[in-house]
Amino acid sequence: MLLIHCPYCDEQRAELEFAYAGEAHIARPDDPAAMSDEDWQYYLFVRANPRGRHHERWRHTHGCGRFFNAVRDTLSDKFEVTYKAGEPRR
Amino acid sequence: MSDSLTRAEPVSSEPFAAQGVTITLAPPMARLSLRARDRATLEDLLGRKLPAKIGATAGEIACLGPDEWLLRSAQGAAIPLGEGLPLAVTEISERAVCLIVEGPRAAEVLMAGCPLDLELFASGRATRTIFETVEIILIRSGENRFEVEVWRSFAPWLQLALTTAAAQLR
Repeated sequence: MLLIHCPYCDEQRAELEFAYAGEAHIARPDDPAAMSDEDWQYYLFVRANPRGRHHERWRHTHGCGRFFNAVRDTLSDKFEVTYKAGEPRR
Repeated sequence: MSDSLTRAEPVSSEPFAAQGVTITLAPPMARLSLRARDRATLEDLLGRKLPAKIGATAGEIACLGPDEWLLRSAQGAAIPLGEGLPLAVTEISERAVCLIVEGPRAAEVLMAGCPLDLELFASGRATRTIFETVEIILIRSGENRFEVEVWRSFAPWLQLALTTAAAQLR
């Protein structure tokens, strides 16, 4: 069973309790009306999809309910580190 | 008016007994969800200490998240709702029912479907977790006593799952 460390509960918990929530550190543009359609669609739909180290958001749905960020290797599925939402990219 | 109506529980209140474990439906109780960014405002309102660490309990109150607590107390207890304060006290008494799994083999029964390592889950701890696919709040109220809070509509399935696991202990 894959165990994920929740930075809020500060515990290793089973993957079953978590939900994946897409790529992390994607900030919503301050003024969408001023953007070109191309930039907007890039913000909405285009994601990095790397092979290897990936920054992603997870939610401890069946636990504390919090979103947090994680660095996961997409090849080995190994979680390198997890940290609280709002903290700088690792 | 509502007092005169017959209360309908979603599961049988008949206790279930197997080798080393009993599963019973807890009597109705008051449950309140307490939410506040700042713990001190809630403590002032309730006039009691709240546990700070997620998973800890202090008396009737369990800390479920960084800004979330669950208060379970006797029915009819007067709890202030704190109107106008930057917090939310929500009455959720009827959202869930509580199944009590008790006995020397209670942990074994729960581990049939719960991914937590209950040997490391000390007495007095509480957490939201999952049993198979059903969300539960698990409270260890004694060395051999677990209280499982589950949403009403999931309760019949959970009771069946727990009693089946208990009946298959050997």
